[in-house]
Amino acid sequence: MARRELKSRNVLITGATDGLGLELAKAYASRGHRVVATGRQLLSNDLDFFGSPNISYIRADQSEPEAAARAIAQAMEKFQWQSLDLAILNAATGWTGHAADETPEQISDQITINLTAPVLISKAIAPLLFAAKGQLVMIGSTAAKGQSQFATYAATKAGLEGFVRSLREEWRTRAHVQIIHPGPTRTKMHAKAGLKTGFVRMFFMPTKRAVRAIQRSIRNRDGKRVLSKTYGWSSIFSSAKEGEL
Amino acid sequence: MKALITGAANGLGRAMTDQLLEAGHEVWAVDRDTDALDDLAIKSRGSCRVVLADLANPSSIQRLLRDVKDVKFDLVVLNAGISATGRFEEIPGAAYEKLIAINLTAPLVVASQLMRQNNMAPKSQIVFISSLSHAVGYPGASVYAATKDALAIYAKSVRKPFKKRGVGVTAVFPGPIRTEHAERYSPKDAKANKRMLPEDMAKLILKAASKGKKELYAGKGAGAAKFFGKLAPNMMSKMMRKVIFDKLDSNTY
Repeated sequence: MARRELKSRNVLITGATDGLGLELAKAYASRGHRVVATGRQLLSNDLDFFGSPNISYIRADQSEPEAAARAIAQAMEKFQWQSLDLAILNAATGWTGHAADETPEQISDQITINLTAPVLISKAIAPLLFAAKGQLVMIGSTAAKGQSQFATYAATKAGLEGFVRSLREEWRTRAHVQIIHPGPTRTKMHAKAGLKTGFVRMFFMPTKRAVRAIQRSIRNRDGKRVLSKTYGWSSIFSSAKEGEL
Repeated sequence: MKALITGAANGLGRAMTDQLLEAGHEVWAVDRDTDALDDLAIKSRGSCRVVLADLANPSSIQRLLRDVKDVKFDLVVLNAGISATGRFEEIPGAAYEKLIAINLTAPLVVASQLMRQNNMAPKSQIVFISSLSHAVGYPGASVYAATKDALAIYAKSVRKPFKKRGVGVTAVFPGPIRTEHAERYSPKDAKANKRMLPEDMAKLILKAASKGKKELYAGKGAGAAKFFGKLAPNMMSKMMRKVIFDKLDSNTY
């Protein structure tokens, strides 16, 4: 384990009530880091839900990007964080089907939650990130190269990649900006987006493995990392039931 | 031929509109700039159908879609776009919301709803105007770059499903053009004569659309930018930082 892991750090993870975000929050908290986790649900008891005193949950509904960014900035002020070492902007939503059947609301929801919100949150946390010379990590998707079954989702993820590419240069001396593109992972994302995955789910990357790969990429301070190359046939030896709704 | 052009009153959109009108086509010109729309209506002696719409406003987009409900278009050019340049963290959030609404949400909604409403004639073409920033990055306009990358990937994603319904998709990646838009968002010392004339760019785009081309990289140095952008993306964005971001002395949005 790298030496810098020993120090307790301030970590922000969005979309942390499920899937990759939840596992990432638990993983960082279990190593003693202080985590602010966000989601749009109302949780009755943070400790019961996350099982770690290191995780503080705040409600930040990204369908209202300005309000979500403000809520996150206010929470950090409340916890008296002087700096932010790591921000993982992971929250996203999807819709699948023929592009001509997508309604204006479905299009604008995905753009707002997947792109506008991360942009405004990045802006809101910039001063704290600069103070720590921290790391801003976007969770993209391998769909960012184009996907006919979920065109708008793919577009929002490509948008994130374009944002990261340019911002990384802008912030070069002040903070590290990177994007990680997970391939198909055994989370509830597909079911929520209305995609029936069937038997191919066997080949999806187990969530825990994706989380380990994401942490590795963060430690390496990669610029851009595509995870699907790291999974494959070995996935079929673990339970494909994981994350099914 | 019937065409719909957004952002049709000025710059590149105006050049395309003028050329189509000159060739005797019917043009539906969409813009939010009333003065420029008036000018277009007068100069075309009433032959251009001008439609006032603010693409940052969802209900204005809905009205536009209702207005054209019974029209069958042969060509749709989703050209309207704005930018925001400067230091990312200093530009107000509202400016980013507007930028994303106009550059990304509007073209996606208009394209998908025209398909849904059966507004596209058989063998028609939808053209998305992305940017050469798709190849080289754009430090100093990271959210603009995000919208243009998103647009490029949307075009790529819908190409097959739209083709099955008889509609072709062209993605255009224009380099710098000599328009008010470019003037407004570029560093002060940038040389205008290095930018392509909007009339020349318009000609190339309309030609590519009529041939059903999938992609068009156009403008001075666009080919080289595409090549090196793919070969050495990080080097290209570093170079873009030097020629643009480091020279921007104010925020424009």
